[in-house]
Amino acid sequence: MKCFTQSPTKSTYCPDMRLNKKHDFPGKLIVVEGVDGSGKSTQLDLLRNWLISRGQSVIFTEWNSSRLISKTIKQAKRSNSLIPNTFSLLHATDFADRLENIIIPALKAGLVVLADRYCFTAFARDVARGVDREWVRNLYGFSVRPDGAFYFQVPIEVSLARIANSRMPGYYESGMDMGLSSDPMQSFQIFQSRIINEYNQMVDEYGFYTMPATQAIHEQQVLFREHATKILNLT
Amino acid sequence: MHNHDYPGKLVVIEGTDGVGRSTQVEMLQNWLQVEGFGVSTTAWKSSQLISKVIEKAKEKNALNTITFSLLYATDLADRLHSTIIPALKAGHIVLADRYVYTAFARDVVRGADSTWVRKIYDFAIKPDRVFYLKMPLDPLLRRIITTRGGLDFYESGRDIGISTDLYQSFKLYQSQIMFEFERMAEANRFITLNAEDPVEAIQKVLRRELGTLLMDETLSGSIVRS
Repeated sequence: MKCFTQSPTKSTYCPDMRLNKKHDFPGKLIVVEGVDGSGKSTQLDLLRNWLISRGQSVIFTEWNSSRLISKTIKQAKRSNSLIPNTFSLLHATDFADRLENIIIPALKAGLVVLADRYCFTAFARDVARGVDREWVRNLYGFSVRPDGAFYFQVPIEVSLARIANSRMPGYYESGMDMGLSSDPMQSFQIFQSRIINEYNQMVDEYGFYTMPATQAIHEQQVLFREHATKILNLT
Repeated sequence: MHNHDYPGKLVVIEGTDGVGRSTQVEMLQNWLQVEGFGVSTTAWKSSQLISKVIEKAKEKNALNTITFSLLYATDLADRLHSTIIPALKAGHIVLADRYVYTAFARDVVRGADSTWVRKIYDFAIKPDRVFYLKMPLDPLLRRIITTRGGLDFYESGRDIGISTDLYQSFKLYQSQIMFEFERMAEANRFITLNAEDPVEAIQKVLRRELGTLLMDETLSGSIVRS
């Protein structure tokens, strides 16, 4: 296929697709990415409150939350019977529904859109699950390119410790569907390492701002606000 | 899409709404079973996982082009994994009432990028035979209005706003769909059948074509007859 033949190191997949072009909506789109336990949701929440206090109109949207299909996804996950392509397609459907119903209208209206996880989550997770790298990038080619994508980078040990402290990782979260190991914690470790590896490769491909997610919450937030101020042209 | 090397055969019947696909599939199924073949059927938009979501979303007329495409792709991915591939592995003849070509035609007419749609369905298996039931617009319209008591919102492409007149919208939309089907029929060597012919005449041709396909396979031993 003509637009999928180049090397996967820069964003060269189908350059004509919306994801690979700057959008021209009046609003701004900021997304956070990173593995579970990287602290991205906490940081996004703090940023959101700060932006609102500064008089900005902000809306927030998170992964797997569409009215159309998020319940179906949760049910399907419970039955542990999904193959990787179906899993990908379900999440892409959820994302498409939110993009058309929430994100794009808000950007057209000039709002600041904050997204907790974006298509890059699928690029990391689905590829870690064995889905073809180009296939999933084509699948999400309709995504609007974010004005800022912040990647909360943590070493695998930190992510594991933060998750393990609070709960047992879920079946898909630990990649149990791939039979990496019969031990959930070990499977989780292998799977999360693969995800982190995919994220790290995307830093250059999509120009992520890498956030030092092992630093104190306050320090990260200062840095986050600094970048956001520039992206949103706040004074 | 990739070629399969399962012992079974995947046979697809394509065509727009109202051309009589399901009648033909049912007759084929009965015939093949009597002949001693293992048969499975699978219809478009019938997965346990997602068909209800599609129904609900359509009722509300709440779907945009991309979401519409992705829901159907998810439906097929689920059926491939849960129905089609297991049946092919067991040496069954799988009769599919519509397949990826329906998506290729519809999604492109709805404005999706044709490369994008085709690439998404890369996970699908290439069928062993594709039959295309073709019917001109006017008889098709008469048939749909009399048998279904009216025109459907999506089948008329009302969601893409070509015309507010349902009848005109149906004609425009279906003629574009047919154009896409005919292009694919040529490029992919579909066996095109005239859907205006009597049901039995169409069935006769289908059986003859399948007979040829299965004869070779039975002789080479990949299809098992009971």
